[in-house]
Amino acid sequence: MGEAGYVFMPQVIWLHLPQLAQGLLRTLGASALGIVAAALIGLVFGAARAYRVPVASQVAAAYVALFRGTPILVQIFFLYDALPELGIRLDVAEVAVLALALWGGSYNTENFRAAFGAVPGGALQAAAALGMPAHLRFAWIALPIAFRLVLPALGNTSISVLKDSAYLSVIAFAELTYVATNIVATEFRVFEMFAVLAVTYLGMVLLLSWGLSRITAHLAARGTVGDA
Amino acid sequence: MTMPTWVQPVATQMLHGLGATAEVAAVSIAASVVLGLALGMLATLGDKMLRLVIGAYIELWRGLPVIVTLFFIFFALPAIELTLPPIVAAEMAIVLWGSANLAVLVRGAIESIPRGQFEAAAAIGFSWPKRMVHIILPQALRRLLPPALGIVVILIQLTTISSLIGVHDFLGVARLSIERLTLTTGDTHAVPILGTVLIVYFAISNTLNALSRWLERRLQVQ
Repeated sequence: MGEAGYVFMPQVIWLHLPQLAQGLLRTLGASALGIVAAALIGLVFGAARAYRVPVASQVAAAYVALFRGTPILVQIFFLYDALPELGIRLDVAEVAVLALALWGGSYNTENFRAAFGAVPGGALQAAAALGMPAHLRFAWIALPIAFRLVLPALGNTSISVLKDSAYLSVIAFAELTYVATNIVATEFRVFEMFAVLAVTYLGMVLLLSWGLSRITAHLAARGTVGDA
Repeated sequence: MTMPTWVQPVATQMLHGLGATAEVAAVSIAASVVLGLALGMLATLGDKMLRLVIGAYIELWRGLPVIVTLFFIFFALPAIELTLPPIVAAEMAIVLWGSANLAVLVRGAIESIPRGQFEAAAAIGFSWPKRMVHIILPQALRRLLPPALGIVVILIQLTTISSLIGVHDFLGVARLSIERLTLTTGDTHAVPILGTVLIVYFAISNTLNALSRWLERRLQVQ
């Protein structure tokens, strides 16, 4: 990368390591909260969709159409710039987690809907025939099977949430991308900072997908995942 | 009911912004499709090295947040004395992501076609390009089209990143208008303006998503 006289100076990275580490922590924190909240939203709304729960199912469908149908960048700006006009004031960290949770939740609603829909009907009918009440059938039969079925898609959406946390830099949430681009803007160390960003994001994505495939393989070894 | 006076000029500007968005979207979609098809087909050639290189391209541009790719193109190229108009930088970032994702779909769709189809076509003397164009791609397209349309929807949504580097696209103009109104009138009007941006993207995305679902039913592979 020495073209046109650019000299790569790795010491710049060490110099800014404390700031970058702080940014990474914010990325991880917001992503972790966003991923967990998105999974819960997806579970509740996905079940409502799959079992056609009146009202909740329609609300969930509208929610999915809205958040999957609009750019996350516009969603972030709306939450940050427009909500205060409606009398809702959130600080930047709250907007950050909320934006990730709502976006990821809309994808997870579809993921869980498909998973609940793929739970074999025979298992549920057998449980019903044995006199198991509906809420127990859901908790003990549908949920464990659906959870295994949803894992790959849930994992992909979670990885997307992690990557999308980079968008939060646009509202000055000081996560990794924000910190790194600020250093680029003030000190012109473009290649050093983007090396950090590339290695960190790719590392996190690969680590997550590796962990995910391990979990999926582990569950598959115990049966039922993938081919129900 | 009469419109407040700020509405008309803002609407006119946003219409122009929508034009810029359409331009970024058209270029990004066209280039992503061409590049994605080429990479996806080349990856199935059986050349190990080629497969590896394309695999790395796919992992890299799918693994990076698009906004990081965008900032890299926008900031890094000037550092090596290469300047691009912002609109081209935005299109490049979107195309890297789009072509990588489409290449995955194309590769998967081609590999889902039974090997016998390749062999039979080769046996009756079809060259590789002819095998691809006449035998494999028409079948692969049935599997490919619905998910590819899903990628197109995301590409259209991704055009909004161009506003971050100063392109006056739909979102960019909307945000400028909000800023200007805040300065001149003291009111922000973010709800109606950003709300309009949401509604337009909502309409485009959900129309195309509905088309994708319809195609999926129509083209279902037995």
